[in-house]
Amino acid sequence: MTRLLIFLGLAGTLVDTAGAQGTAVLYGVVTDTLGAPLRATVRAGDRETTADGEGHYRLHLAPGRVGRVTVRVNHLGFATLVDTVVVVAGDSLERDYHLQAAVVELQPTIVTAAKHSQLLDQSVTSVALVSDTDLARRAVSGVDEAVNKAPGVLFLSGQVNIRGSSGFVEGLGSRVLLLVDGVPANQGDRGGIDWDMVPVGDVDHVEVVKGAGSALYGSAALGGVVNLITHDIPVGFHGRLRATGGTYANPPYDAWQFRDYTGGLGGLDATGSYGTETLRGSLTLGGRHSDGYREQDRSDQWETSGRVEWLPQPGTRVTASGAWTSHQYQVFPTWCIPTACDTRGQAFQPFMIDTSGRGSYTRSNKGYVAATFDRTSSPTFAWQARASWLRTHFTDVNPDDWSVANRLGAELRGVLHAGGDDRVLTVGVEGARTGVTSDIFGDSGRVGDHTEIAVDDSERTTVVSPRIGAVLTSAFGTWRASVGRGFRAPTVAERYVTTRALGFQVVPNPGLRPETAWSFEIGNSGAFASWGRLDAALFWTEARDLIEPAFIAVFDSATKDTTLEIQIQNVSRARLRGLDASVTVTPAPALTATVAYLYLDSRDLTRDTVLSFRPRHLLTLSTDYQWRSLSVGADFRFTSRIERIELESVFGQDPRVAARVLDLRAGWQQGPLSARVLVTNALNYIYNFVPRTLEPVRTISVVATWTY
Amino acid sequence: MIAGMRSRVACAALAAVAALACNEGLRPTTCNGICGTLAFSGTVPESTQAVYVVAYHTFPHSRDSLFNFQPPLPSLHALPLGGAPTFYDIPVPAGRYEWVLAVWVKQGFNLTNADSTLREAGYYRDSADTSQPGAVTVAGGPADTINFVVDFAHMHPPCHYYNPPCQ
Repeated sequence: MTRLLIFLGLAGTLVDTAGAQGTAVLYGVVTDTLGAPLRATVRAGDRETTADGEGHYRLHLAPGRVGRVTVRVNHLGFATLVDTVVVVAGDSLERDYHLQAAVVELQPTIVTAAKHSQLLDQSVTSVALVSDTDLARRAVSGVDEAVNKAPGVLFLSGQVNIRGSSGFVEGLGSRVLLLVDGVPANQGDRGGIDWDMVPVGDVDHVEVVKGAGSALYGSAALGGVVNLITHDIPVGFHGRLRATGGTYANPPYDAWQFRDYTGGLGGLDATGSYGTETLRGSLTLGGRHSDGYREQDRSDQWETSGRVEWLPQPGTRVTASGAWTSHQYQVFPTWCIPTACDTRGQAFQPFMIDTSGRGSYTRSNKGYVAATFDRTSSPTFAWQARASWLRTHFTDVNPDDWSVANRLGAELRGVLHAGGDDRVLTVGVEGARTGVTSDIFGDSGRVGDHTEIAVDDSERTTVVSPRIGAVLTSAFGTWRASVGRGFRAPTVAERYVTTRALGFQVVPNPGLRPETAWSFEIGNSGAFASWGRLDAALFWTEARDLIEPAFIAVFDSATKDTTLEIQIQNVSRARLRGLDASVTVTPAPALTATVAYLYLDSRDLTRDTVLSFRPRHLLTLSTDYQWRSLSVGADFRFTSRIERIELESVFGQDPRVAARVLDLRAGWQQGPLSARVLVTNALNYIYNFVPRTLEPVRTISVVATWTY
Repeated sequence: MIAGMRSRVACAALAAVAALACNEGLRPTTCNGICGTLAFSGTVPESTQAVYVVAYHTFPHSRDSLFNFQPPLPSLHALPLGGAPTFYDIPVPAGRYEWVLAVWVKQGFNLTNADSTLREAGYYRDSADTSQPGAVTVAGGPADTINFVVDFAHMHPPCHYYNPPCQ
C-alpha cells in the first residue's frame, strides 16, 4: 500500500532575533530554587535543547544567531524564565538558571501540532502534554499507562481513544496515529498501535494532539496524534538502572478464585549513553515478566533501543535511531460464561477464560529504524529529511495466524520563518509504502500458503485534507479555533482479513472506502487566578463512511443454508461533539491538583443511536504533594457506563458498569536514587469496557531507579 | 478569600472522589436473566448439531412466530450434550416469558427447513400443572432455579404446538 502526503502549513510562532555573525555556545545548569536539577528546555531563537538529568545544558548558536539573544527556559510546573544575553561570535557563555515553582507551566514548547517547534498556547488545536515529571511520578511500566491519564484520552482494552475517536474495533485499525520522534509507527497490516514499540524509559514526554491531524500526518490521524518524544542524549557518560517488582490482587470474591497463588510482575532495564560535542549515542536493554491478573494471562517481553547523533557542524544534526521488542503473551480471549466452561454455578467468571480459547498465544515482534538529517541553513530556514523502516511480525496460536508487515517511509520538510517573529511556513512531502505477507488476508495474490498484498492504481484514492486555524491572545486568556479534515484509509486487515472471531466467520471486503471527518474546535486557555489555570475546548466532528464491523446474512444456494458472518463495512455517518476541559490548581505551595472532564455526545446518524464504545462522561482527578524528598499523589478516574457496544445482539445482555478507578503513589528521591510505591486500582474495582474482557485489578508495585 | 476558595475547591474535590468511589463494580451473580439446572434423559441422537435454551414472550402457535425468541440467534450458546446436570444461563431482557425450553437442532439446519430439523426437547413446567409450560418473569432481577429436564427420547417438532398442530 503506497501513500503520499503533501502538506503545507502556515502558523504563528515567536522567533528571537540575533545580530552578529559567527558561532557560539551557551551552557550552564538549570535547577529549581532548592538546587534540584531540572530537565528543562532551553531555547534561544530557533535553537533548542533539553538539560540532562543533572540539569546541564549546552546550546550551539548557528551562524547569524549570535549577538543579543533572548533565552527561554521552560519546565512543566515552573514559571518560564526569560533571559537576554549577549553572545560573542566564536565564544562560549555560561548561564545558570533557577526556576521558580509555579501553578502551571505557562509556555511549554511542543513540536507535533504544526510540525515545528512552537509554544503550547500558540497551537490552533488542543494539545495535552504528559511531561517527564508525570512519567516519573507515575513510574509507569508502559507508554499506554502514561497516555491514558491525559485529559480527553481513554484506553479501551489497549485501543486509544482521543475524544471518543476510535471506539473499539478489536485492534483492526486505529483512528489515532502514533509517532516516535515524528516517525509514524502504526502497524502496517492492522493499522493498530503497538504501545510496547519503544521502552518507556526512553520516553521523555508525550504530546497528544486532539482532532483531525491528516493535514500534516495523513491517514490514521483522523482523531488525533500521539507523539512519543525520546530523551536527548547529554554530553558525558550517563546511565540508569531501573528495577520493578509487584503483585496482582487476587479476585475479591471466593466465587471467582482461579489460582492458588498470587500473581506477580517484575522487570529490569538499563540505559547507558555517552556523548561528546559532535557524537552521541545511547543504548537501552530491558526485560519484564508478568503472571497476569487473569487465567491464561502471562507475558514476557524483551526490548532494546538505541540512538546515535552526529553533529558535524553547528546547525547540522544526523540522527539514527531504532528499537526492537519481542513480546510473547498468552491471550485471554473472553471471559467464561455457562456452557463455555465450568462457571461453578456463576453467571460469568471474569477471571477465567472461555475454554475454546485455551492455549491461545501470541508472539509479537516489532521494531523500527529511522535516520534523520536536520539542517538549519540560515536564521530563517531549516529543513529535514527522514527515512524510516517499521516492521511488525505476529504469530498467533489458536487460531493459527501470522502476518509480517514492512512499512518504508520518507519525508522531506522545510520550515521557513517568513519574516518577523510570528510567521512560519512549513512545506513538505511524505511518502510511505507498506508490504504485507500473511496467511489471513484472503486469496488476493495468494502465494503458496500465504498472501502477499499489493495495491494497484485502481485502489489508490486522493483525499484532500486541509486544516485552518487561528490563535488570539486576549485579556481572557488565549483563544484558539480550528477546522480540519481527517481521513483514514482502510487497513489491509480491514479489507482482506479472513478469520474467525467470536464464533463467526469474518469475510473480506476489498471495496472498503476511506473514512473521513471534519473536525471543528474552539478553545480557551489561561490563568483565572494566581493559583489556578483553565483549559477548555468545545469540539464537533462530523464523520462519514466510518469503518465498522457488521453482521451480514449469507445464503448458500448449494446447501440452501443461511449463515451470519462478520464483515468490515463503511456503515456509519457519525457525529461526536462535546466539551474537553481541565483545571489545574495549587491550593498550597507544594500541592497541585488537576480536574479534567470530557463530555462526549456521540451519535451514529445512520442508525440514530449512540455510537458504540463511547462513554458519555470521563472525569479525571489528580493530585500530588511534595515534602522535601518525599512525594505522594493520587489519580481518580470515573468513566460512565458504556451505553452501547458493537455486536449488541451477542453481548448486549452482559453486565456493564461505570468505572471508578483510584491509583495511589508515593515516592522518595535522594541524589541518584529514587524509589516509588504504586498502587493502581487501589479499590480493586472490578469492571470491564470491552465485552467479557476484565480490566486490570489492584496492582502493587515498587520501582527503584539509580541514575548516574 | 482566596484561601477560603482554595479550601472549598479541595473539599469539593474530596467529596467528589468519595461520592464517585462509593460504588461497586461487577459482583458474582448466579444468574443473568433466566438460569437454572438442566438434567438429561435419553440417548443423544447421532444427528445432533446442538441444543440451546431459549425463551418466548408469547407461545409460538405458528411458523411466523417460531424465531421470535430470546436471546437472539447470535447470542445462543450450545449446551453440553447429555451427561451430568448442568447450570445454564440465558441473558434475556426483563419481561414475562410464557415458554422456556430446550431446542434440539439437527445437523443441516437452516432457516428454511426448521420444521424438520428443530425439536422441543423439554421445557420448564408449571408447578401446579406439570403438563403445562410454566411462565417465567424477569423483573428487577434474574429468574433462577428454572430447572427442567432435557429428554432426547421425547422430542416434538415445532408444528406440534401450532394451532392447529401437525399430524
